[in-house]
Amino acid sequence: MEDVRHTLKEAAMTFLILGAAFCLCLLMQNLFRTRTLIPAVFVLAVFLVSFFTQRYLFGIVASLVSVLALNFAFTFPYFTLNFTVPESIFSAVIMLAVTIMTSTMTTKLKKQEKMRAESEKEKLRANLLRAVSHDLRTPLTTIYGSCSAIIENYDRFSEGQKKKLLGEIREEADWLIRMVENLLSVTRIGGRGVSVVKTPTVLEELIDTVVMKFAKRYPSQEIQVEIPEEFVSIPMDAMLIGQVLTNLLENAVRHAEGMTSLALTVRTEGNEAVFTVADDGCGIPQDKLAGIFSGSAGGSPDSRKNNMGIGLSVCAAIIRAHGGRIWAENRKEGGALFGFSLEAEEAFNGEQQI
Amino acid sequence: MGNNRYKILVVEDEANIRSFVSAVLETNGYQVLTAGTCSQGELVAASHCPDLIILDLGLPDQDGLELIRRVRLSSLVPVIVLSARSGEKDKVAALDAGANDYVTKPFGTEELMARVRAAIRNSRHGPEKEGRFVTGDMEIDYDKRRISIGGEEIRLTQTEYNIVAFLSEHPGKVLTYAAIIKAVWGDAGQGCVKRLQVNMANIRKKFGVKPGRGRYILNELGVGYRMQEEHE
Repeated sequence: MEDVRHTLKEAAMTFLILGAAFCLCLLMQNLFRTRTLIPAVFVLAVFLVSFFTQRYLFGIVASLVSVLALNFAFTFPYFTLNFTVPESIFSAVIMLAVTIMTSTMTTKLKKQEKMRAESEKEKLRANLLRAVSHDLRTPLTTIYGSCSAIIENYDRFSEGQKKKLLGEIREEADWLIRMVENLLSVTRIGGRGVSVVKTPTVLEELIDTVVMKFAKRYPSQEIQVEIPEEFVSIPMDAMLIGQVLTNLLENAVRHAEGMTSLALTVRTEGNEAVFTVADDGCGIPQDKLAGIFSGSAGGSPDSRKNNMGIGLSVCAAIIRAHGGRIWAENRKEGGALFGFSLEAEEAFNGEQQI
Repeated sequence: MGNNRYKILVVEDEANIRSFVSAVLETNGYQVLTAGTCSQGELVAASHCPDLIILDLGLPDQDGLELIRRVRLSSLVPVIVLSARSGEKDKVAALDAGANDYVTKPFGTEELMARVRAAIRNSRHGPEKEGRFVTGDMEIDYDKRRISIGGEEIRLTQTEYNIVAFLSEHPGKVLTYAAIIKAVWGDAGQGCVKRLQVNMANIRKKFGVKPGRGRYILNELGVGYRMQEEHE
């Protein structure tokens, strides 16, 4: 189904480009009374067709059609086909050469691009794996150690001591849950380069869910929420985008030292929704800003703060899989700002009606 | 709650999860039955008539959904599903098969107990069609078809009222988009989730609810909505 549509689209594009070239040539012939430009126009058309279509087929068809058109309409005697002219055979050869070379080049380019994306994903996986092996051990050590301590010294520990240890166990387990949620997100977008499954999601409901979940974990941290008044529905994988927002908010809580206010804002601009998470904490050190989404930020490899790098690189991977942009900057008034944009199917024109 | 001895059947193949869930239920005064497989669960359910079933969907012998369907053939016992995080689809499928609620793994015992209490209360008292419904400072007067918050009447359209009233008949229970649409618009409304969402947005606006405050009607993203319970 997808294939048929794609082929039809390419056929239409080929037809349009050739049609445009033909009309342009007719126009030029009448305006300038010269034919020297005409083959150049057709070569350009053939180039464009082979550049924009995936398969050789359309390029070859385009070059053959071009040769016929040249021969038919723009070579003396006009509007007759005449294959005795050696010129037409030459131009046919040239156009075919252009087609084949362009198609080969574009295919190669596309392959390279795909490989780059693939290696980026590979890098993310490697980073995650490294972080997992480093970072899972610490909370597991605490959980295992505290549990054995309680079991072995059940009668000797005071109530208070036991409560304290149990509290720490829960804290560590909570941290593990968040780590695993991030890992799950990555597997959800990792499958064979398939992009995410998007369902229209009501912005207000998404924000509500994220903020509620956040409030449960950090009851003392206020968030200033600002979203458009009107009904906004954006196609997305809501669970993954929720994960991005959660990561960004938690990132602020964990790393923005001296933060007094945390703001989550969503605006609609044209056919884009722009999400920002801004704090007024210590900001991001300049030397970390560049690679902040690549998973290399964060402290020493052993530090718990490494999760920041992982969390942010997961964010970047999710947003990229949605075809959006993500960025980080230091605010002029102090503090850090993380933002990302998602595309909507249709432009936000005030009130979306049904 | 101490003296009630509601019977709860826990169907879960992980022994550790079964053990801590049973422990919490027992200390809260419930009588606990356990099963490790789908078929065993079905047997126990048939012979002991539990008041509630807590069911893990990923069982070794069969899909937990099968158990819900078979139990539903003969009984209205409330079923709470324990679901893995990945996928709203599983949740919707379970709810549509007849489950009453779900808890996402990993879960806290507090959350589980709240769901258990809500499910049992709902099944005991049944929908209160007549009279009134109260949650927080919101009140619904079913006879006059009137909703008020803090004593002040909220003007809703017929459709908006029908949605809120339907949700309030099952407080604490997640109702899927499909179930709400069917109840409000009948079969004609099938598949039109956006219409429901737009109506819901208007309801929130009229209720003066700000995102993140979670008042009155709770979002279950990608699944449906849930009316807040009185005690939540």
